[in-house]
Amino acid sequence: MPELRGSYGDQAQHLLTRWFGTPDLHTIDVYESKGGYKALGKALFDMQPADITGEVKTSGLRGRGGAGFATGTKWGFINRDAPGPKYVVVNADESEPGTAKDRYILENSPHMVVEGILIAAYAVGANQAWVYIRGEYDGPHRMLIEAIEEARAKGYIGPRPMGKEFPLDIRLYRGHGAYICGEETALLESLEGKRAQPRSRPPFPAVKGAWGRPTLLNNIETLATVPWIINNGGAAYAKLGTAKNPGTRLLTVSGNVRKPGVYEVAIGATFRHIIIDVAGGPPEGRKVKVFWPGGSSAPVLPESMLDTPSDAESLAAAKSMGGSGGVIVMDDSHCVVEAAHRLLQFYAKESCGKCTPCRVGQDWAVRTYERILANEGSHVELDILQRVSDGLQNGRCLCGLGDSGGWVIDSTLRHFRSEYEDHTLRHECNVGTVKVSA
Amino acid sequence: MTALSSHVLDEIKELPAKFPQPRSAVMPALDLAQEELGYLTPEAMTEVAAALELDPGYVEGVATFYSLFHLTPVGKHRFYVCTNLSCMLRGANEIVDHVKKAIGTGTPEEVSADGLFSYEEVECLGACEYAPMMRLDQRYQYDLTAEKIDALITERKEGKVLPRDGEVAAHRPEAAPVQAKKPRAPRKKKPDA
Ligand SMILES: Cc1cc2nc3c(=O)[nH]c(=O)nc-3n(C[C@H](O)[C@H](O)[C@H](O)COP(=O)(O)O)c2cc1C
Ligand code: SF4
Ligand code: FES
Repeated sequence: MPELRGSYGDQAQHLLTRWFGTPDLHTIDVYESKGGYKALGKALFDMQPADITGEVKTSGLRGRGGAGFATGTKWGFINRDAPGPKYVVVNADESEPGTAKDRYILENSPHMVVEGILIAAYAVGANQAWVYIRGEYDGPHRMLIEAIEEARAKGYIGPRPMGKEFPLDIRLYRGHGAYICGEETALLESLEGKRAQPRSRPPFPAVKGAWGRPTLLNNIETLATVPWIINNGGAAYAKLGTAKNPGTRLLTVSGNVRKPGVYEVAIGATFRHIIIDVAGGPPEGRKVKVFWPGGSSAPVLPESMLDTPSDAESLAAAKSMGGSGGVIVMDDSHCVVEAAHRLLQFYAKESCGKCTPCRVGQDWAVRTYERILANEGSHVELDILQRVSDGLQNGRCLCGLGDSGGWVIDSTLRHFRSEYEDHTLRHECNVGTVKVSA
Repeated sequence: MTALSSHVLDEIKELPAKFPQPRSAVMPALDLAQEELGYLTPEAMTEVAAALELDPGYVEGVATFYSLFHLTPVGKHRFYVCTNLSCMLRGANEIVDHVKKAIGTGTPEEVSADGLFSYEEVECLGACEYAPMMRLDQRYQYDLTAEKIDALITERKEGKVLPRDGEVAAHRPEAAPVQAKKPRAPRKKKPDA
């Protein structure tokens, strides 16, 4: 194991990461010695399925995959009594640039994830869960296989888990390298052996999901939070964080900081606290210039907005979002136009091609950035960028990937207009001396 | 002569029954084919399609959609270097330049003269706290420097590391000792746990 970069140990805000760093926490014996699988027992024997969902509703937990949908409400959409198979599909495709928290959880405590999945499956009446894990996660994949085998051997998974007449099983499916598979309906297509192109909704997965059956889709971090909520109660969870966005989150802080890592913080902590105090701030002699508060798809915020709190409402007021919790920090030695160009290359490459505004628009943006960075730009290019960005947003595309490219252009233009003008109108890069418009 | 050996085709034919619907077997099947041949030839895709009773065009459509399927030959060891933002901010582009120079290839389609190496720039691999980083032989490599790249190349030239070592290693691939292993017997691979 390389040096752990992130949260571990007993601190008030460490609900998920408290035992991380304990030797062999990934084995079932050590996990049990820390109280592991108690929540599953409680859920199976002391609670009705509706109470489990109720407890998650009380906690106020919102999905950690990016969209932030209320988890308990989502569980309530599944008709537990509908006849025929139902599935829990777990999103372990983690590929939003700047996000490593699901990997951090899986490598440190795979049993916490397994326990959360089993509780969720029981609550919504699914006997079978599938974990869709990105193909590059060789280590976490292997650790999950072993955790599932251990849990099966100990009787937590099987035809009668812990003696309960409710079969539970978990199987794994590996992705093959495509960012779009993180989008939930594209993920389902992929799981069914198809090209991963998002479906139009309705029908929603809760009604018609994997293989046409009712399906609950949740992110790894979302489900890893469930055992804590069952053990301690939803009300205890809701005491942390903000009233509308309770609890803790695992934020991946990366880029130009001295201590990059995956840090568990109470939601609502300011980005100044997260970037400067927790992650050590920029390297000696450098200043924070800009940060992405929730993965590369979250609109950027300039240094002057470091005091923005990290809850969903505050971020929406700042015209951004919490997204995947990937906090990417860039210091004043880097160029915003170059960074935006790199991200548009990403969105253009990963566009699934299903809808025209995204397939064509992201490419247009890349070519425009190329001209600008080759010092061939003029006010025409600035206009094109703005219009391409508008064309990608506001429901013109089928899924969020389209908007994401638009937000990168739009937010960098909004906050760093002068840097764009230096490049397009004056053909110069003034990194280090650039003025920021708030 | 078929492109895929008969034991691989037999394994592929067993896959559909493991899923609620047989089509889900297509990617695990392509994995097995790629594992045997190193990349997916048109013949291999046709054989996979026949084994799964699918249209070969459909199989190729899936294979071309996903970046982890290779349609041209790759080196025995492929460097998947992340150049997305968090890695770029910590020097990933310089790492790519060094890799290209060190293995003597200019594009992702080329393979080094000895057949050992190729590279590709990839998107975020979900380990940004260790940037710049890459995936090599089923294992993540962190905090990359030019010296580290050179050492990884030397180890492989000397045959000390085989391509699938990372996968064989136990819980924590990073902690597994780097040492030569015997090539494995054809493996009974399950697509699931
Ligand atoms: C382009 C795109 C990529 C996404 N990538 C991921 C991802 O890698 N992991 C993830 O959990 N959710 C991702 N999501 C969000 C999922 O669609 C979905 O909302 C989420 O997995 C639901 O789980 P949650 O409610 O527990 O967050 C992505 C969404 C979009 C539009
Ligand atoms: S917005 Fe882009 S990625 Fe999403 S469905 Fe349309 S083409 Fe595909
Ligand atoms: S940007 Fe390189 S691992 Fe995330």
